[in-house]
Amino acid sequence: MENKIVEKSSPLSSGNIAVQVDDLTVAYNYKPVLWDIDLEIPEGVLMAIVGPNGAGKSTLIKAILGILKPIAGSVSIYGKPYDEQRKLVAYVPQKGSVDWDFPTTALDVVMMGTYGSLGWIKRPGQKEKKAALEALEKVGMLPFKGRQISQLSGGQQQRIFLARALVQDASIYFMDEPFQGVDATTEVAIINILKDLRKAGKTVIVVHHDLQTVPEYFDWVTFLNVKKIATGPVKDIFNDDNLTKTYGINYKVSIQE
Amino acid sequence: MNSAQIEIQLIASLVAIACAIPGTFLVLRKMAMISDAISHSILPGLVIGFFITQDLNSPLLILLAALTGIITVVLVERIQKTGLVKEDTAIGLVFPALFSIGVILIAKNANDIHLDVDAVLLGELAFAPFDRLIIAGADIGPKSLWVIGTILAITIGLLIAFFKELKISTFDAGLAASLGFSPALIHYGLMTMASITTVGAFDAVGAILVVALMIAPAASAYLLTTDLKKMLGLAIAFGVFSAISGYWLAHWLDASIAGSITTMLGILFLIIYLFAPNKGLIAVMYREKQQRTEVSLLTFLLHLKNHSEERERHVNHLQEHINWQKVRAKTVLDLALKNNMILINNKIVSLTQKGDEFTSKAIDYIITNEDAQIEDMKDDFFLFRG
Ligand SMILES: Nc1ncnc2c1ncn2[C@@H]1O[C@H](COP(=O)(O)OP(=O)(O)OP(=O)(O)O)[C@@H](O)[C@H]1O
Ligand SMILES: [Mg+2]
Repeated sequence: MENKIVEKSSPLSSGNIAVQVDDLTVAYNYKPVLWDIDLEIPEGVLMAIVGPNGAGKSTLIKAILGILKPIAGSVSIYGKPYDEQRKLVAYVPQKGSVDWDFPTTALDVVMMGTYGSLGWIKRPGQKEKKAALEALEKVGMLPFKGRQISQLSGGQQQRIFLARALVQDASIYFMDEPFQGVDATTEVAIINILKDLRKAGKTVIVVHHDLQTVPEYFDWVTFLNVKKIATGPVKDIFNDDNLTKTYGINYKVSIQE
Repeated sequence: MNSAQIEIQLIASLVAIACAIPGTFLVLRKMAMISDAISHSILPGLVIGFFITQDLNSPLLILLAALTGIITVVLVERIQKTGLVKEDTAIGLVFPALFSIGVILIAKNANDIHLDVDAVLLGELAFAPFDRLIIAGADIGPKSLWVIGTILAITIGLLIAFFKELKISTFDAGLAASLGFSPALIHYGLMTMASITTVGAFDAVGAILVVALMIAPAASAYLLTTDLKKMLGLAIAFGVFSAISGYWLAHWLDASIAGSITTMLGILFLIIYLFAPNKGLIAVMYREKQQRTEVSLLTFLLHLKNHSEERERHVNHLQEHINWQKVRAKTVLDLALKNNMILINNKIVSLTQKGDEFTSKAIDYIITNEDAQIEDMKDDFFLFRG
């Protein structure tokens, strides 16, 4: 099955499995929105999760990160439960999941990325601030560090959340639609940062809606619609057949490259 | 000022601080109503606690009553989770039920309990100094001062220890959860503290003032700052200010202290709501008016840039052709002149170098929405302030 393909034809992967999901079922109010998901994500891939609205993409990420409790199944990060591996994982939530009017600045939001490594009670200091400023610099948002976050444009907000994930200095990054509502320039800036992360050996998992750009941006892809449709290298499985199975209509995506 | 007066003001101020701290987070979590619910539904807890302890200031009674507060929160969440009703409806269902249980308990045992509903709701700060705490024969001050002082010390301790956890779980519960800070734990911790504060303060100031002190100072502070620490500081300052000025208002009017403090809180909020520099009503209205004028200005400058014919650039053309009223046309012309963007020669308007550059830059900004290049224009023009 796909899992075998993964192991054999993965030139990028070191053979380690970064994220393993077994028989995962997640429900809201007892109505399952993810059914029996099995998924192996090899270390070092830049992976897109694609699927229609309501397919359960955000839910999958939240369940992997322990934000939602699954009704069945298990998740492991480098072979251990998430709880033990928190520090290896960073997360950029889907836009709109925070209170934009909250009294906090761009810099402060990025600093929150350091809270995980600090643990309970300990407060951030100069070291954390420096890391946050560097991350802001990397996403080109340094001039806006003092802005209240609702006074940033959508794309700028997205960059702030990316910076917050960068500052976590994790091994695995989960990003829920980081390209939502950003212009072409920002999209390029973000994808370059993601590619840099992969180059540094990190695993990056991105919920993505623009099917046209999948082959250009990603090397790995998972098709999801309540069930897992397929997962594997883009060049092997990103085809009309899987797209049709996922989206339910006849898809014709001409694959470049 | 005699010592009773000082003690009353001290108690009121400590209550104000103890309320402003959880209140700030309740306001940010959009949970103002829940404090109202807690303040009413602690009544049955108080009555039962009073049966057991026979002492309104006993720590056990405070814990029992606070427990009713937590039960309220849990019940509200349970009802809400069924998806049948919204949160406010759930609150409206839970607290009258619990409150009326308390009222019935009091009525049934009127002979044994020296507790009346009015006292619970309104409190009587003026009597607080008469109930003294005597240890080993020595009078060490009013009991309520010690009760609220202890609660305040715990609140401040928790705030300092868990400030970062409170902040992140309020702002982004998802991130907090993924980083291992249990948002549920923090949520119930905050609710417990709010309940304990409400119970500890009700005896002195009454449940209604507790709600007012939790919500009004935080809501006022929210309008003034974009920094959480400053918001906390301002909320505390507003609470203490209202407590003390309310006390003197009551003294002067010979009215209820709790009522006067609540009045001061209301007045303070109203003033800030109207006059806050950025989020205040007047500032918002002024800004909108400015923006309208500036959009007109830009339209006008653009018109000048696009037309070289004199007919199109005559002063009166503004009224006749662009179809602006006299006042608006004059405002726009004045604004442009003041900023050296136009010259008027024989009633013919032309763009200056500066006006020409400004127009190009502004149009560029509006199209690309790139902030960097117009940072310097922002101070002159509201239009470009996000
Ligand atoms: N808090 C919730 N309570 C109940 N149902 C929910 C909740 N969140 C999501 N759902 C439902 O679960 C399903 C999956 O939602 P999810 O947010 O994971 O989809 P998604 O694939 O991320 O969609 P999108 O592309 O729109 O972001 C949807 O049918 C949605 O209505
Ligand atoms: Mg989603």
